[in-house]
Order: sequence, then C-alpha cells, then structure tokens
Amino acid sequence: MPKDIFVFVELKEGTVRKVSLELLSKGKEIADCFSSTLYAVLIGHNVKGIAASIQPYSDKVIVVDNEGLADYRWDTYTGVFEALLGKYKPYVVLGGSTITGKDFFPRLAARSGGAIVSDAIGIDLHNGGVKIKKPLFGGKVISWVTCSDASVIFITFRPNSFGVEKRLLRGEVIEEKVEAPKDPRMNLLGAEKHVSEAVDLQEADFIICGGRGMKGPENFQILEEIAGIMGGRVGASRAVVDSKWREYEDQVGKSGKTVSPKLYIGCGVSGALHHTMGMDTSKAIVAINKDPNAPIFHYADYGIVDDAFVVLPALREALKKTKEEI
Amino acid sequence: MNILIFIKQVADTEARIIIKSDHQSLEVENKYNMNFFDEFAVEEAVRIKEKNKDSQITVCTIGSQKAVEALRTAIAMGADRAFLLDGSKAAMNDPLAISKILAAFAKKEGFDMILCGRQAIDDESANVGAMASELLGVPHVSAILKLEVKDDGKTVKVENEIEGGRGIFEVTLPALFTTQKGLNEPRVPLITGVMKAMKASIPLIDPATLDMPQEAFAADASKVTVLSYESPQERPPVKIIEGETPEEKVRNLVRALKEDAKVL
Repeated sequence: MPKDIFVFVELKEGTVRKVSLELLSKGKEIADCFSSTLYAVLIGHNVKGIAASIQPYSDKVIVVDNEGLADYRWDTYTGVFEALLGKYKPYVVLGGSTITGKDFFPRLAARSGGAIVSDAIGIDLHNGGVKIKKPLFGGKVISWVTCSDASVIFITFRPNSFGVEKRLLRGEVIEEKVEAPKDPRMNLLGAEKHVSEAVDLQEADFIICGGRGMKGPENFQILEEIAGIMGGRVGASRAVVDSKWREYEDQVGKSGKTVSPKLYIGCGVSGALHHTMGMDTSKAIVAINKDPNAPIFHYADYGIVDDAFVVLPALREALKKTKEEI
Repeated sequence: MNILIFIKQVADTEARIIIKSDHQSLEVENKYNMNFFDEFAVEEAVRIKEKNKDSQITVCTIGSQKAVEALRTAIAMGADRAFLLDGSKAAMNDPLAISKILAAFAKKEGFDMILCGRQAIDDESANVGAMASELLGVPHVSAILKLEVKDDGKTVKVENEIEGGRGIFEVTLPALFTTQKGLNEPRVPLITGVMKAMKASIPLIDPATLDMPQEAFAADASKVTVLSYESPQERPPVKIIEGETPEEKVRNLVRALKEDAKVL
C-alpha cells in the first residue's frame, strides 16, 4: 500500500493559512521519501478558485465544495473526511495545532479509530514509517513518538514548525461530492469575528510582547506600530491580560497561546516560567528590560538592559529603515 | 442535572523534570496540581449546582494513586463525589485508549453534561474531550467562555473561542464542553470543603471492569509509543547588546539580528 499523505487545508477569510502551506511543504518531502502521493484536502464553499493557489504545493488537490461546508463545524467536516479516508486510505493526515485543528482532529481520529499525536513540532522517517517530535512540560522535555501502522495516523503541528518551500507542482484537482449533514443537536446562533488584516498570533513570524513594565494599555500603541511595520503581532504577558490592558487572545504562555515566531521581542516582560514556556521555541529571542536580573535574560539570545520607553522609538525607526531597504 | 467532570493531575509548571539516563522514562519532582483548565470545569459545575440544587457533580481521572489529590481538590471546591480510574495497566500514551476508558465510565455512570479543561498543560494535546464525545455519540463544543443552562434543563447556550472570534451555540444535552480561561474565576476552597475532601472516600476502579474489550485500552495495544525523551537544545547565554545611547544599542541589535541570527 502506498503511504499517501493528506493535508487538511485551513482557510482564513478565503485564503489559505500559512500553517497549511508549511504542512504541504513538509508533507511533500515525506511523500517523496515514500514515493507516495501528497493530497491537499480543501473543504468549504466557493473554494474552487482557492484550489489554484495550492496546486503548486500538491500532487493532487481534493476539493469538496458545498453550501453546508462554508464554515468549519466538526460534525460536517468529520463526515466529509470520514468518506475521503474510506476512499483514499491515506497513511497519515496532517493538520495545524490551531483552534480548528484542536477541535477537529481528535473527533475525527476517534471516529476512524486512528492514532493521534497533537501539538507536534517535527517529523522524521523511522523504520519505514514516521516518528514525531513533540514537546512536553512546556518544552522542558522533547519526546519522539511513533504510531502503529495498523490505522491512520493523525498529527497536528504547531504553526511555524516548518518553512514554506516554493514548489512548482501542478497538482490535479479532483472534485468529490460528499454531503455531510449537520448534527441537529448543535445550532449555531451566531458568531462574532473581529475583522482584522493582522496575521494570527500563532502564525506570526514576528511577535513583540509587552509585559507589566509597559506600565499601561496606552503604551502598547508603539508595540502595535512596530508589529505593523514588521507584519507581525503584539503579544502580552499574563500580568498584562489579568490587568485588562490587552485581550486574553493576545496572551502568550502556558495559560495562553504557544508561539514560535522567527523573532520574538519581549519589552518589560520579566520572563516568568509560564510565559517563557509559551515562547521558547522561537528562533531568536530579544529581551528589553531595565532590570539586568530579570529572568527573561536567561532565555533570550540578545538583551538590551535599558528602559523600554527610550529603546522602542529607536527600534521603530531602525526596523522601518530595515524594511525600506528590502 | 447530572454533571460529570474529567480532570487530569499534572506536574506543576515549576516542577523539575529529570530525563533518566536511558532516555526512556522521566522523573517528575513531587509537585502536582489539578490541570489549570480543569479548574474552570469544576467551578462551572459548582455554579450550575448552586442554581439547580438537585444537581450531582461527579469527578473522575485516570492515573496513579497520587492523582487522588487532584480529585480531593475538586471535592473541596464543591464536587459531590470522585472516582479514580486505575491507569497502571492502561495505554497512558494513547489518547484514544484514555478516551475509551473515560467514555466507558461516563456511559456506566450516566450524565447530562460532561465538562473538562480544553487541554492539559503538560502535553497540550487537547484530545480527550472531543474524542470521548465522539465515542459517546454526543455533541461537543471546545473552549467555552460562557455557559447558560436553559429553563427546560435540556438545552444549553454556550459561547466559545473560534478562529478570530466567538461562536454562540445552542446545544441539546447530553453534551460535552471543554473549558477555557475566561469562563469563570475558580474559587479557592473553604476550610469546610477541604475537611469534607479529606474525609471523602474515593473508589479505585479497574478499567477492566467497565464494559469494553481489554484490547481497547491495554498498554500493549497502545497505538502511540514513546521512542525517547531528550532535553531541549540549550540556548547559548544571552548576548547583552552594549551602546552609549539607546540608538546605538538598537543599531547593534539590528545588525546582530541581520548578520548573526539572520532573522531580519
């Protein structure tokens, strides 16, 4: 049996999320090792046009398009995937460890009786199959796990676990007609979405995080400006969220979001363990704090010991210049 | 209202974790707590009971004898009774096996509503809630921020975290909800609660006595196997960026980020 790979393609406001492109990139690498096929699975309504944007990354693109699939729901999406798994029998199904992925993959894995590994950060070949890298205890331990081949393997990965590789495939688009009924016991009454151009916190390449040292919510404006210049996002420590200076969805750390951007900058963040556990897989960590003994300097690659309020305006100008040069 | 809560005892975030020399097992410093997100589940159940006096709150966990402490915390907060499911022979690395045991226990006890934390803070997997609901054939809503039991006692209105905002659902019971920070403020148990918890008898249940085949949960049937544990790559010591003025420090930082770290 060929060890085919499925990637669940997640959409945000009608475009493919970066995490899905990362998984298609890694998925293609593994499929090549197995001489198998990489399928991108695109579910939604009026998504046929989007298929074109993932064709370059995929051997084949499966599209299931109908009105009932416009918004993600575990009941309809699990129904669709169940049918596709039965027909295509993939070896492994990859998805993002996102709000949707965390809701969807366990439900699907339980229905298909599969093995599941969630919130992973790496994957490699092992004994003719795969092994999966997963952090435990907030990154204090890294585990490698493997799954029995007897059933489908479902894996969710943290955004930013892999790079996006430019590829020039021309994946054939296959349209599948699958009707999946809604569970009548669960009615959506409404949804409130903030319309935001900004990238998702967990997917951001650049995060500038404010701690209690920012002294008040009004001082986050300069962090917003810097995040805007860098196309990134502003994060917050727990103390800041508990003081209601920022929303909970901005919280980085053990009780908030786990992030691993290319560049993390902490401003007036002391670096309590529950915060650093949520960001220590970032590629580069910069700490700006006037207290040279702040614990964050134990986790940072680069530190500036100075008042954030005098450093930030200079940083904003320097980053603006850097962006203009590119 | 018959409310069932799944909790997990997890290592404290400050606990020291030692990887044994064979890289096959871990030694966790003896500092454990009830999982952070499970506290919201217990609190919410107690609040429901405060409004609907004839409710019963049952809490259970799978684990070693030590996990009884987390169950006692739940009783101290206001749960009525607790059960420890013996994890010693179960496939503890396999979320499906764990979910099968919990689902079998839920089926045996009966429930109108199951609550559990949105994920455990030790493995951050977020599997058990959605998996158990699928096995039980009931709907689930993840990461709820608000819960309101309707007057009929048969439907619940919940708000939850969805991508980029909040969803509002009306759900017919029985159903499962996973709890998110923001749902409520978990209470600190009163001394009377702690006394009650100390005295409570907590039965130990062998999963083999629940109605399911042995191979569904036994350790040797695990679908997930740990190959090894490793220490994370250590970061080199911090490079403090020097400079006479903030501008100079920033210039030096930007240069380092471009040339050494190559992230700009």
